[in-house]
Amino acid sequence: MEHFGYLFAAYSVIFVAIFLYVGFIWRRQSALEAELRSLERRLAALGGSTGEKESSAHSPS
Amino acid sequence: MSKPIQNALGLSTLVAMLVALFMVFEWVPTEAEQGIVQRIFYFHVPCAWVAFASFGLVAVAGIFYLWLGGQIWDDLGHAAVEVGMLFCTLVLITGSLWAKPIWGTWWTWDSRLTTTFVLWLMYGGYLILRATAEDTPQVSKFAAVIGIVAALDVPVVIVSVRLWRTIHPAVLVTRQGGHGLEDPRMVATLLVSIAAFTLLFAWLLMLRFAELRMRTRLGALAREIALIRFRAGAA
Amino acid sequence: MAGYAAIVKKDLMLEVRGGRITTVLVSLALLVLVVLVFAFDRAVAQGPDTAAGALWIALVFAGMLGATRVVLSEQENGCLRALLLSPLDRATIYAAKLTASFGFMVGAAIAATILAMLFFNLEFSMSLAALMLVLILGALGFSALATLLAVIAARARGGELLLPLLIVPLFVPALIAGVKASAAVLSGAALATSRDWVGILIAFDVLFVTAGYLLFEHVVGEE
Repeated sequence: MEHFGYLFAAYSVIFVAIFLYVGFIWRRQSALEAELRSLERRLAALGGSTGEKESSAHSPS
Repeated sequence: MSKPIQNALGLSTLVAMLVALFMVFEWVPTEAEQGIVQRIFYFHVPCAWVAFASFGLVAVAGIFYLWLGGQIWDDLGHAAVEVGMLFCTLVLITGSLWAKPIWGTWWTWDSRLTTTFVLWLMYGGYLILRATAEDTPQVSKFAAVIGIVAALDVPVVIVSVRLWRTIHPAVLVTRQGGHGLEDPRMVATLLVSIAAFTLLFAWLLMLRFAELRMRTRLGALAREIALIRFRAGAA
Repeated sequence: MAGYAAIVKKDLMLEVRGGRITTVLVSLALLVLVVLVFAFDRAVAQGPDTAAGALWIALVFAGMLGATRVVLSEQENGCLRALLLSPLDRATIYAAKLTASFGFMVGAAIAATILAMLFFNLEFSMSLAALMLVLILGALGFSALATLLAVIAARARGGELLLPLLIVPLFVPALIAGVKASAAVLSGAALATSRDWVGILIAFDVLFVTAGYLLFEHVVGEE
């Protein structure tokens, strides 16, 4: 079991780095997903109203 | 849309990783000369393979971005360079942890170490450009150009560094350990580890890529909303 | 070809009248060498190996500064935009800017060589022509990269540090080859003994002059 520390350190570094990276991406991904949802909802709401406005604004001219 | 593929890839990565870990720590015989530290090698080499593969992918994505355009290529290059830097850093760290007990030093300017370090610096510069500049199509073009130029540089770096070290042989590198895999089980373990890391690479790349795609969509949606608002205001 | 000549002539005339870049580069080379002389021990700071290293340090710093100046001189007052609006091919603009950066670097290399020979007590007997050839090959590769990357660094607003961060790692192979070949020549060996190193320098030059020529249009494109 000579030099076990080095072996342990090497494998720990690899897995800690990968878990941290995945964790960060996952957190950002879920935040982005929520933001995307809310924007999509807003766009749907806006799209409905402006569609009417645009048609009414264009019809007189 | 690609969520199921993402999850399936994640799951197979997990399984492959567990198998690889079992092989490395339970199954494979201990190398006679170097002892237990030699087992670092089974994860060190796949890290290097993944790093090189992602840097190649960066160049390919860059070429496609300049040739065809399309944010998708830029996002792919961006994801690849990040994952590549992660594994390149791991190569350097695990290599160092292996070199200390075997070569007696954390770092030596051996040709492979030097080449990896130069690559790390090159793609680090590329990442800094990505981090400091804002996300415009112009910056994406810059990143593509640097990705291509860096890939062109890789063979020249390899040749020159090798020549540099053979002319100045390091006393420390007399024992080229870790390459004589005399037991077939060692080869099998290495191959399984490489497969596990390839899956891991694909999964990480996909995760990061999906995030960047979302960001791109978010930007497009925000622009669309702003445009509608502006039109509504003008009307 | 006429467009290329016109830009080069303009850069040359500006320099002959003002002489700003040459002054800056030569003083930078002088300063780098002075710092190295004092930074090293007197016993170490002699001989071909140190002199070769010092020469290349001066060359790299002068090259970065020179390329930045050459690019920025076009960036001022929207000159670059005017150049891009002109019917000139982008690759021609690259060739002209490369020529200017390269010219300044060679000037700095000549100044640095003369100073290094004095500072590091070198014999003038060795072949100056061989040394200049090595330095010129290095300067060409460096300015090929620097012209491309200086535009990126200037337009990406990443700060002054971006150009060195990008160019130094990319230049490593030519740096290794150049230092080795220069040290060999300075110690009196024939250039033929460092054939491999000169080969790497030439390959580097061909590779990056071509790459810069082909990629430049993507770097100077519309905002």
